[in-house]
Amino acid sequence: MRSEQEVEQAIELYSDMIRRICLLHLNNHEDTEDVLQEVFLKYVLHSSVFESKEHEKAWLIRVTLNACKDLKRKLFRHSTVPLDVLSEEAASVMPEQIGILEIVLSLPAKYKDVIYLHYYEGYTAREIGMMLHKKENTIYSLLSRGRELLKQKLGGGRNA
Amino acid sequence: MHEEIWEAFEQIHATEQMKQSVSKYLLQNRRKTAKRTHAFLLRPLVSACVILMVCIGVGNWYFFEMPVSYVSVDVNPSIEIILNRRNRVTSAESRNKDGERVLKNVHLEGMDYLEAVELLVECEAMQDYLTKDAELTFTVASANAEEILAGLQNSEVTVHYQGMCRSADLDTVTSAHQCGMSLGKYQIYQLLSEYGAGLTADDCKNIPMCHLRLLLAQYEDGKKGTVNYDEIKKLEVGCGHEGGGHHHSQNHH
Repeated sequence: MRSEQEVEQAIELYSDMIRRICLLHLNNHEDTEDVLQEVFLKYVLHSSVFESKEHEKAWLIRVTLNACKDLKRKLFRHSTVPLDVLSEEAASVMPEQIGILEIVLSLPAKYKDVIYLHYYEGYTAREIGMMLHKKENTIYSLLSRGRELLKQKLGGGRNA
Repeated sequence: MHEEIWEAFEQIHATEQMKQSVSKYLLQNRRKTAKRTHAFLLRPLVSACVILMVCIGVGNWYFFEMPVSYVSVDVNPSIEIILNRRNRVTSAESRNKDGERVLKNVHLEGMDYLEAVELLVECEAMQDYLTKDAELTFTVASANAEEILAGLQNSEVTVHYQGMCRSADLDTVTSAHQCGMSLGKYQIYQLLSEYGAGLTADDCKNIPMCHLRLLLAQYEDGKKGTVNYDEIKKLEVGCGHEGGGHHHSQNHH
């Protein structure tokens, strides 16, 4: 079991990242809190040593994505009515960026993850492939198609 | 587009309330896990202690209490000394009234068998029975009979009182007890039965050891036929120990 200090540092360092991944998949703050709790509980109980900070971050991304998928499956079974998550962010995010986020969030799930991981976290197609257990070429395809969809939705005239 | 996406996501942060909620949840969970861990660790520890105590108990009984050898000391008092694996006395039991009287005055438990036998034979109460006609007999039933017999044969009391040392099968211990006799007396009863003396177990119980041995010697020398009623009555009072009530304090050696 990890020490309290170690866990507090991880909460400070990775909560924002987990929050952003949750934004891609979940509909409200309560679900995000559930995922945050589940991810950090797994982190507390994870006994293996991480080789580096990068390894630790990649592990947390994978665990968060799985937790989001599990929660969505559970919510689907319980017929929960989704809320508009971005309306909860409206107070803290500038209006023009709300528009961008809306477009990214409107993409099919398979594109949202790769777009976020590539454009925000700065991972390469190879790194994303390793993280999501997909082939590098598949990631390239997803990125390419996702980019096309984004261009269309943003007005088509901008460069990626 | 790259920058726009980056800037848009950069606006998204986990709230302080979210972080606190996670910390609080983990703290509660840590306490529960710690309790479970203690219980989880404690359970095998308790089991191990119980197993250890059982092992110690069984081991203690096996090495220190389990009856392994029986030494029957017959003069007329019949006393049986029960030995553990280390040839130490775990208990001493009288097999007739005279034996009971002798054992009232000696405590043999925990002693080495040779020390116990010497103390028993040399004690004041036993000396009353070691009269002129008395015969000292040691009968050993044990898987380790040879070693015990060797010790007894060389002991001071055997040499001094010209005691006889015999061995018997371990199986005969139970039969002897069922007949209410010491191992030594029961063995002589068996031998007399083989010679066709016609004595019952009850007859033998009432005949002093010295006369039983004399009778056996007669059969070994060629005596034939059964012992009749009158002879039995004479044999019963002959040495004057069992039920006779008179004990001589002098030693015939």
